[in-house]
Amino acid sequence: MTDVGINAPELGRVSEISIETLAGPKKRARKEAAIRSFFFFAASVSVLISVLIVGSLMKETWTFVSEVDWSVTWGEIGWFPRQGLYDMPTLLVSSLIVTIVAMLVAGPLGLGSAIYLSEYASKRTRKFLKPILEVLAGVPSVVLGFFALVFISPQVIERIGRNGWLVIGALIIVVYLMLVLGWARQLVRREAGTELSTQVKRVMVLTLLVASALILIWWVNGVAGSSDPEAANFFTVKGSGQLAAAAVGVGILTIPLVASVSEDALASVPDELRQASAGLGARKMTTTVQVVLPAAVSGIVAAFIIGVSRAMGETMVVFLAGGAADQAEFTASPFDGGMTMTAAMASLATGTDSVVGEALTFQSLFFVGSVLFLITLALNIVASRFVNRVREKY
Amino acid sequence: MVASTLGNNGAKARVEDEIFGRGRDLRGSGFRTLLLSCLGVSLLVLVVLMVQVVSDGWSVLSTRPIDFLTGVLRSQPGDDALGISQGLVGSFWIAVFVTFLAFPVGIAAAVYLEEYAKQNRVTTIIDTAVRNLAGVPSVVYGLLGLFLLVKGSKYTNWLFVHPFNWFWKLFKDEAAFQGQSTLIAGGMTLAILVLPIVIITAAEAIRAVPSSLRQGAYGVGATKWDVIRTQVLPYAAPGILTGTLLSLSRAIGEAAPLILVGAITGRLAPRESVLSGIGSFTEQFADKFTAMPIVIVGWIRQPGETFQPAAGAAIVVLLILVIAMNSVAVALRNYFEKKRG
Amino acid sequence: MPTSFQRTVRTIGALGALTLAATACTEIGPEPGSTSAADTSGSIFISGSSTVEPISVRVAEMFESIAPGVQVDVEGPGTGDGFKKFCDGETDISDASRAIKEQEMENCAANGVKYTEILVGIDGIAVMTNPANDAVDCVSIENLYGLIGPEATGTTNWSDANSIAGEGMPSAQLDIFGPGAESGTYDSFIEIVLEDLAEERGQEATTRTDYNAAADDNLTLQGIQSSPTTIGWVGYAFGAESDVKLLEVDGGDGCIPATPETIASNEYPISRNLYIYVNEKKARRNRALVEFVDFYVSVGLDEAVSTVGYVELTEDSKADVRFEWNG
Repeated sequence: MTDVGINAPELGRVSEISIETLAGPKKRARKEAAIRSFFFFAASVSVLISVLIVGSLMKETWTFVSEVDWSVTWGEIGWFPRQGLYDMPTLLVSSLIVTIVAMLVAGPLGLGSAIYLSEYASKRTRKFLKPILEVLAGVPSVVLGFFALVFISPQVIERIGRNGWLVIGALIIVVYLMLVLGWARQLVRREAGTELSTQVKRVMVLTLLVASALILIWWVNGVAGSSDPEAANFFTVKGSGQLAAAAVGVGILTIPLVASVSEDALASVPDELRQASAGLGARKMTTTVQVVLPAAVSGIVAAFIIGVSRAMGETMVVFLAGGAADQAEFTASPFDGGMTMTAAMASLATGTDSVVGEALTFQSLFFVGSVLFLITLALNIVASRFVNRVREKY
Repeated sequence: MVASTLGNNGAKARVEDEIFGRGRDLRGSGFRTLLLSCLGVSLLVLVVLMVQVVSDGWSVLSTRPIDFLTGVLRSQPGDDALGISQGLVGSFWIAVFVTFLAFPVGIAAAVYLEEYAKQNRVTTIIDTAVRNLAGVPSVVYGLLGLFLLVKGSKYTNWLFVHPFNWFWKLFKDEAAFQGQSTLIAGGMTLAILVLPIVIITAAEAIRAVPSSLRQGAYGVGATKWDVIRTQVLPYAAPGILTGTLLSLSRAIGEAAPLILVGAITGRLAPRESVLSGIGSFTEQFADKFTAMPIVIVGWIRQPGETFQPAAGAAIVVLLILVIAMNSVAVALRNYFEKKRG
Repeated sequence: MPTSFQRTVRTIGALGALTLAATACTEIGPEPGSTSAADTSGSIFISGSSTVEPISVRVAEMFESIAPGVQVDVEGPGTGDGFKKFCDGETDISDASRAIKEQEMENCAANGVKYTEILVGIDGIAVMTNPANDAVDCVSIENLYGLIGPEATGTTNWSDANSIAGEGMPSAQLDIFGPGAESGTYDSFIEIVLEDLAEERGQEATTRTDYNAAADDNLTLQGIQSSPTTIGWVGYAFGAESDVKLLEVDGGDGCIPATPETIASNEYPISRNLYIYVNEKKARRNRALVEFVDFYVSVGLDEAVSTVGYVELTEDSKADVRFEWNG
């Protein structure tokens, strides 16, 4: 490990040249050995902690596993730990929903940010842009939980949800308009030669403006009309919060992590590849998409896996904004309230150090913890394989 | 064709345009904009978040900012004495625990891994342990704290409770820590939580120390410890400090492990000031506790939206603390990177 | 035998104490003729019902101003969780929104914990629906059993209740919100509303399991407001303050609205007593605890109970409570 050219004198090894002068006094050697073992002890603390984590999870988990009636852990109507119903699919599916939605947010945004920072940004712009992610990485999860509860849920999810079809409809019309205009532009071009007359341009811009204004009015009308409860549709938020809002919050928390791991992967792609590609006449975008990204694919996969693991382990956002407390019915819809594994654990323990309930309630806490621990551990191990692959390649 | 139009300025621009593709590569610049907008969305989220919490907390922050910091937890949101002092005190003590437990152990572990460890099995095990610990969800650390420090048992008492009480008797005649939901349990849990972060960042900083420094020191007869003490650690200090600040801000913002360990979410009476004697100083360690994130969670979960201004204001205070630490850390790193560039 | 290190540390501490005492004197000053409580010091830990928690917190805050040396910590994990800790001797007072159960008594006895039960106030359980719901104004106990009882599991329409018990429920989508099983309100609801009918019909006395349960009453209220045909139950204090429609309840003597008067007079069928339990052994050792409970039964019963939204005891029962505690 040490990259010392001239090694410190080996202890107690005798050579012809006066070893006393090289090795120094015995006392000094003893002191060095003592210091070394102190550092070794400090390093082994992390091994001790790993063992303690596994150990403390195992004891209560074993009690749960050996005493629980397994039929109540699968296919029940929900997670009711204080009434003896420990339906794992309820928690697993909610965790899955939160993770997927979170990664839909964090994946593209994190990767996009990483590509920009690593491939496009100059050193100076980097200095201005990088802190955005660094500040975001420092935001505590309770803050995001509050934000998900008071902003994302009512202002984003509920609003878009209630007018979901309206938005989708508007999108379809905009795309349709763009296609029509593009076709018209081509037609005009063919008629008028290569250059487009300014008048035609004006007409087209005007059409686009009027169309968007109409769409906007339509949308605002939809928002105003939606206070009528009859307008409630599939997306209407039921209960006090929902998984989708919490999941977006978790996604926002995960962006910096995905970005930083992806950026590391992109940075490890050797510059020769980029230069060769540019030399062949490829544009920047072509180089990035067809050369750099494929070369860094392992690292990007690792970034996504680490992101998934982080999103699955996030507690407070779902606990505060997920819309269920203490117990939850099974749901597979992101627009319902639900409880992830992490939120279930926090709920069980809220406000009290001793979780009291029927029979195995306390043990169920550790059982869920073990399941979560195993899943995240597996994800992290797979991710580190991918990271190592990048390292070996270059 | 190029030669025949060389004198023509418009043609020159056109050729340059063809070569560099500026203004023509619509897809390219679209792609670039798309990538930039990814960062833009993050920025937008941050701005909206700040505006939201500041506007929620404004009614409190604008009228009584200092009173809010020194005030105490109250049941009525309009109470003049309402404030977050208990949360600040709890978070301060947690920071003390992290500083005195996680930093020395973490930095020492990093020194071992970078300076002493040989490529062998033991090193691989330690390395794997550190890496995997960094990925363990924070609630699981809460379970560790709950099982080892709060519930306790014959064996875990020997590991944690007895050594602590032994240490205690230096200050107080009676053993204080009985293995319950105390500040000791909360502080130790968070110290354990950030340990891998401290190790990883410190190891990175030490790895960046140029080996010529070490060789120079060995050349004049320094021992390994001398080299570490006089060359490696001073050179790596800014990087290590950056890592410790980042992990400190992480510890201050964590709520989930504290909830599992049993921080008080109801009413925690204001304690005697730390200044009023060593008795209250040590008592606080073995006492019930709360912390900034727990205070915030408690207020968010209050019935109705009456506590929303208080929660918003408390969040602003927490964000200022955390972002200040992060900014100092980042600024420190940038400064030394530039200096050594 | 203190070491020199200990002495140094103590000296520093004493200096700090002096400075603090000096500032304290200038700020507050000694109160002339203050009661003995002013110089009492000690700490008190209260756990238990989240329904009673606001009363205890309020009393603690009032007590703090006359006895600044006493620390009163309060948490509210639920009546059941509270009694578990109380009987393990971890807490001084247990808040309870129901009387102690047989099994909990046994637990306390097994650990040698003797206690005094003190009635502090009365809480009605409000049955509520969305303000937009015009179809229902009054429900009977039978209706509630049909909607929320164990046999209702799986039903999704108000009218499904008609085939179980009671009659007259309209046809509408049924969404139910209520407190979780750890809550005293949950237990009381079962005890007062569901138990008799369940026994009669040979069912287990419990609620249906498929309702939206929340540990936090606020979440229950938000749920009620979220759609027009919800039904739910919550403590009267929380329900009366919020934008929900309280239903009248027919306990056999006609529909009675929930008001402070009907609850105090026990006319309103779903009401319950609120208690605190005081650990006797700890009270003997801790003067602060005795003084706190003295304060609780004197000023607390008069001022705290009503300010946090519960129904005060009648003057007669207050006199009884005080006599019992002081005597």
